[in-house]
Amino acid sequence: MAKEVILEVSDVGKSFPGVNALENISIQFHKGEVHALLGENGAGKSTLMKILAGIHTPDSGTIRLRGKEVFFNKPKQSMEAGIGMVHQELCLCPHQTAAENVYMGRSPVNKFGFFDWKKLNADAQQIFAQLDMDVRPSDVVGNLSIAKQQMIEIAKAASMNASIIILDEPTSSVTEEERLALFNMIRRLKEKDVAIIYISHRMEEILEIADCFTILRDGHFIVTKPVEGITIDEIITGMVGRTLTYVEHEQSSGQDEPVMEAKGLTRRGVFENISFNVRKGEVLGLAGLVGAGRSEVARCIFGLDKMDSGAIWINGRECSIHSPRSAINYGVGFVTEDRKMDGSVLEMSVQENITLPILKTICKAGFINKTRDHLIARQAIENYGVKTPSPKQKVVNLSGGNQQKVIIAKWLTTNPKVLILDEPTRGIDVGAKNEIYKMINELTAKGLAVIMISSEMPEILRMSDRVIVMREGKITAEIPKKDATQDTIMRFAIQ
Amino acid sequence: MVQNPPLKKEILMPKILKAFIGSYGLVFVILIFCIPVTIIRPVFWSWGNLSNILVQMTVIGVLTMGQVFVLISGGGGIDLSVGSTLAFSAILGAGLIRNSGFPVWAGLLVTLLTGIAVGAFNGLIITKIKISPLITTLAVQTAVRGLVMIYTGGADVTNMPRAYTDIVSKGIGSISWSVVITFAIFFITMVILRYTRYGRELYAVGGNEYAANVSGINVTKIRIAAYTACGLLASVAGIITTARLYTAGPRAGTGMELTAISAAVIGGTSLAGGKGYVSGAVLGVIFLQIIDNTTNLMAIPAAYVSALKGAIILGAAILDRIRSSDKFK
Repeated sequence: MAKEVILEVSDVGKSFPGVNALENISIQFHKGEVHALLGENGAGKSTLMKILAGIHTPDSGTIRLRGKEVFFNKPKQSMEAGIGMVHQELCLCPHQTAAENVYMGRSPVNKFGFFDWKKLNADAQQIFAQLDMDVRPSDVVGNLSIAKQQMIEIAKAASMNASIIILDEPTSSVTEEERLALFNMIRRLKEKDVAIIYISHRMEEILEIADCFTILRDGHFIVTKPVEGITIDEIITGMVGRTLTYVEHEQSSGQDEPVMEAKGLTRRGVFENISFNVRKGEVLGLAGLVGAGRSEVARCIFGLDKMDSGAIWINGRECSIHSPRSAINYGVGFVTEDRKMDGSVLEMSVQENITLPILKTICKAGFINKTRDHLIARQAIENYGVKTPSPKQKVVNLSGGNQQKVIIAKWLTTNPKVLILDEPTRGIDVGAKNEIYKMINELTAKGLAVIMISSEMPEILRMSDRVIVMREGKITAEIPKKDATQDTIMRFAIQ
Repeated sequence: MVQNPPLKKEILMPKILKAFIGSYGLVFVILIFCIPVTIIRPVFWSWGNLSNILVQMTVIGVLTMGQVFVLISGGGGIDLSVGSTLAFSAILGAGLIRNSGFPVWAGLLVTLLTGIAVGAFNGLIITKIKISPLITTLAVQTAVRGLVMIYTGGADVTNMPRAYTDIVSKGIGSISWSVVITFAIFFITMVILRYTRYGRELYAVGGNEYAANVSGINVTKIRIAAYTACGLLASVAGIITTARLYTAGPRAGTGMELTAISAAVIGGTSLAGGKGYVSGAVLGVIFLQIIDNTTNLMAIPAAYVSALKGAIILGAAILDRIRSSDKFK
């Protein structure tokens, strides 16, 4: 590792009222390296990144850029010094073109002081070509996939000659192919000697793309190491501070009667002839690439979208599900993919969220029985280990893992027979993931049938009794647990 | 496992009180505002003047409750048509009573049904055809005002019978029925929002319509009901207006929608949906009424009053912004 140090953080500390977010953090970042920053949620990763991006100012310690001490007060100063940050939530103008977004606020003008479209598009084209991007300068950003938008953000940073680019969970919502394209782009940036700081919860990716990694835990520096020769287990141990083995799913007998059967579900142009069943106490894994139509099948089963043909049978009877309400009445629960978008009402309390689907049952003449409302919520909070100071706490104030538990608790209070989990652990840290797995195990032990959609292969392999693989709207394979490997699943998902 | 505090038995009464004093910041501002008038014109505190304020705030008060429902329902919820609905529903009922010999109760019923119909129409267009509430209710405002003009030819329906005007001129002791009705509406709205399934679901729909839908709530129904309630309340305001003036005029209610929306917003109801309180909205109504009353007593020219009100509405919005910003937390 003879690469030159470009950015050095020494003894940086930062506290917010009531919390020491960071204490004595010292890290060196090298030119042309991908440096992964790891830690559970709340470990201090984002605080550190916000300090580097000039959003927060450190209470103590120094930051040296190319050997010179720097102090950022505003994001603009950090940007001008050559640090580009790509946030998890993208900040592009959706109605403008890729080129306009890349040169936002720095548009070239011709000698008459008018906007120079030609130069703008030519410059953008050059950057996109350098980074191997499949984007045209004239593409309207809002029409592009999330992954491409992300690439435009990165191109924007690169166009400012950033020597350090921070990527915050760039792959949390992209398909496998797009991820590969993104990694390709990252490698191009490396060749140009750009230092990349990479934040992700996906361990497999770290091993693939990063050169070295630093672990933070509870605001403290734990270790910086090269990635070579390290295992995921070692990384996780460093992150949680103890040896953590994921719970395994105890296999169900596979002999129980099917609770739910899908027969020939079709939604034209989306998925076709989807048939499967899920048994009592079983976890049925739904694997495939993002865009294979898995979430869409789930949405139809739950009555959110209409299907063109097919039938759903629950407990041996055909059901006519035409709205979420009727799905709930038949005993189906649905933990959606996007927690923030349609998982919970963030501004409402934990209690109000938990009892939302069952208000009817705790009402008399339209009035909510507040005592029962409170009791049911408290019971659920206790049973499912939701960490909240009070049932009255707003969901928005909870951590991602706890928000997810609130959503699962909400569905369990409806007494479902089948629970559909769509990406149940996306964006959740390692410790909380494990708790969600435990929760699933307890539920299947009690006879609940679970359909789990996941794009994380290890999760599918760990938790499923059976795996169904989907590709382009069709089921391509059904694999029992003993035959399921990453390779077989991937093969059916791609070809 | 988390240790949760023991369950406390909740009592209804203090909670209602709490709801009413919840926005004590506004109470404070109102009291400060009353200082100059207390010094210059102590007559402000006379029972005659205060009961006058109460009667004057009835119409805006009732309209504001309608806006509270609609604003909480989210999705850009707003109802600009209430001023026109007020005039249209009142004049239809009044016309039937005066010109077609309808009994008073039947005329009142027609007025209320008209309000419901206009409100439900708004709700249907907004939810089923998915036209933005701003455009829908703006169009309905214009069209309904046109209908009023067509129906009346621009003339007032005058000399309403005693049985009708008694709504304002009679009452319990010295408190007019219109005031009693208005406060009953405040109370009912608060109970609906805080204690019923509809209220809870309305907040959920306004807070996150997608999550509400996934939780099995019929978002369309909840929103249509909110607009219908708003239309109904506009017709109630129409009845009070007519009873007060002994006359149903084709221009009644003009511009009142904006005053009602301002009152709701001053009281902390969010234009983004999912947030709003009756207590705050009522204080907003009282505040706007007191500005009118005190500036009138102190003989401040109307132009200044208008400028002042604008500043106060903006100030309230800025305060709300500060209160909900992360830094304040």
